[in-house]
Amino acid sequence: MLEIKNLHVKIADEDAEILKGIDLTIPKGEVHAIMGPNGSGKSTLAYVLAGKEDYEITEGSIHWNGEDVTEMEPDERAAAGVFLAFQYPIEIPGVATMTFLRTAMNALRKARGEDELSTPDFMRIVKEKAKELGVADDKLKRPLNVGFSGGEKKRQEILQMSLLEPTLCVLDETDSGLDIDALKIVADGVNRLRGDDRAMLVITHYQRLLNYIVPDQVHVLSDGKIARSGGKELALELEESGYAEFGEQAA
Amino acid sequence: MATEVLKTKAEQELAQQFETGMPNLPGSDVGWTKAMREAAWQTYAAAGLPHRRVEEWKYTDLRALLKDAYPPAPALGEALTAENIDAALGEHVAALDCHRIVIVNGHFREELSDLDGIGGQVEVRSLSEALSDPSDWLQNTLGQVAPQDGDVIASLNAALMTGGVIVRVAAEAKLEKPLHLIHVAAVKDAAGLATRNIVDVGADAAVTLLESYTGHGAIPVQRNAVTELVAGDKADVHHIKLQNDNAHTAHLSTWMTRLGTRASYRAFQFSTGADVARNQIFVQFAGEGGLSHVSGAVLSRGKQHDDTTMVIDHAVPECESREFFKLVLDDDARGIVQCKVNVQRDAQKSDGHQIAHGLMLSETAEFDSKPELEIFADDVVCGHGSTSGQVDEDLLFYLRARGIPEPQARALLIEAFIGEALEKIERDDVREAFSALTSSWLKGE
Repeated sequence: MLEIKNLHVKIADEDAEILKGIDLTIPKGEVHAIMGPNGSGKSTLAYVLAGKEDYEITEGSIHWNGEDVTEMEPDERAAAGVFLAFQYPIEIPGVATMTFLRTAMNALRKARGEDELSTPDFMRIVKEKAKELGVADDKLKRPLNVGFSGGEKKRQEILQMSLLEPTLCVLDETDSGLDIDALKIVADGVNRLRGDDRAMLVITHYQRLLNYIVPDQVHVLSDGKIARSGGKELALELEESGYAEFGEQAA
Repeated sequence: MATEVLKTKAEQELAQQFETGMPNLPGSDVGWTKAMREAAWQTYAAAGLPHRRVEEWKYTDLRALLKDAYPPAPALGEALTAENIDAALGEHVAALDCHRIVIVNGHFREELSDLDGIGGQVEVRSLSEALSDPSDWLQNTLGQVAPQDGDVIASLNAALMTGGVIVRVAAEAKLEKPLHLIHVAAVKDAAGLATRNIVDVGADAAVTLLESYTGHGAIPVQRNAVTELVAGDKADVHHIKLQNDNAHTAHLSTWMTRLGTRASYRAFQFSTGADVARNQIFVQFAGEGGLSHVSGAVLSRGKQHDDTTMVIDHAVPECESREFFKLVLDDDARGIVQCKVNVQRDAQKSDGHQIAHGLMLSETAEFDSKPELEIFADDVVCGHGSTSGQVDEDLLFYLRARGIPEPQARALLIEAFIGEALEKIERDDVREAFSALTSSWLKGE
């Protein structure tokens, strides 16, 4: 279970608070969506969960499966099962995708006290998952994300998620930059990972993604606080009314 | 009244070495060789050791860096076995499948070399023997491949050189395996080494020449190594250097290359050893349509100082030159890349581009990059670029968010940075060996 209590966050070296007291609980087996206008703090919440050092927690706590993660390094959080699918996946020239995947998988196995994967096992697993997500072989041979389109990068994120098998999946605007076909493939990949042992936090600006990844609960983030929570129908309501009542000016 | 320029202790010791040592140098009793040495000495002595007020040496003040000139190394050096050679090279480079040409303290050691199966294609000869009986070819070649008027280090080398090899690759010869010139310093006491290779690659020949500079043991060495290389018309030459000298070495290296019509020259230098290193690379296009791609990777830490200085001379039209260097600098290390590209008046359609990237792993490392373009033709494309920075925090976070611990993530990014330079090496076996050396270096080995 993910338990966030009274979370206050600011950017290190700056004064202004971005998150102003968030309370959020996601039991295992559930998918929660966070929606909200631009600048409401959605991506900040995602980064803080993954442990990015640019942010400072000034108050409150984050517990995952009863463990306080706020003092953990990003790699320790990954070992504890936390995974962030980035809004803007990073290109890493010179690091072959396969080398990266193998290093990450083995690092997690090591942290969990498991043996490293053999080369044939590794290859088999990667090929299988890549096929499910429509990731072509030649993409696996290239340096990580270099020259990939927005959609290809998002698929890589979901491929990594399928391979690393995290228990807390945080998806930060995974739908941005995807056409409808790519959105379906990505959503299918995410849905395959839904299960009783896993909690998911899906961050999105638009309701569209939630047609394919149907959430158990929807929360609206506004000015660093959860302004409203409800069932999946809340997303549809927002699609109708927009975020005007949550402080975003109409364009 | 003429005033005597004050000489440093090292300069006085060098002068003493030349005066008293001349009779013992190879070819000292041969008129041509003796005259050649004396002329070279005069060129050196007129300037003395280079210092920071000499523009090309502003970052590498040899007069300050060389406190002493060590006495010349004994010609024969220590008795070494094949195992000693492998150990000096390190397992990855020793494992490369090459034709070996082993040179210990300048002395060509046939018994440690392996030249099976290259008879008729490649001729290898000891330079010290050749200096005692200089052929017309030698007299017309030595010091004249791509002459650098007044280069004091090459001149000092010509005055004091004790050996090295002459390698002649026959026209149209295609060599599968690299020729590996293994220069090992093996001395009991601090010593100076002056060696020279002359490599003549015939027209249409294809060859990979790998030069390794390394040491047996950790005794201080001052090395002055020159390679003159002629690539004939349409020759295809891969010229690679591994500099893995011991940590107490001053490594002075000069490559002088001349390229014939439509010759292709791909050079790479991997530098990780020595205390002070100055790598000079001079390339001269002598025939139209030539190609010169010079790249390198430098890994320095502690107080290491590594200076790569290049001069690429577009003397004729329609030639292409590229320089691409990557340096990883930790602790108080200092890395320097200087590259001067000359485009002469008639060298129309010249195409030149140079890039140098420094990756700083500490607050106190220093990277100096100095591009220079001197263009006298009006229809050319020339450019340059340089960056220096630290390991990217966003990349680091991404890797760590995937579970990779920080030291491993950092190493992966540094390997990736160097990997982009290593990609310039077309031979998989050599590239993989250097990649393994990079990993070892990152582990502090």
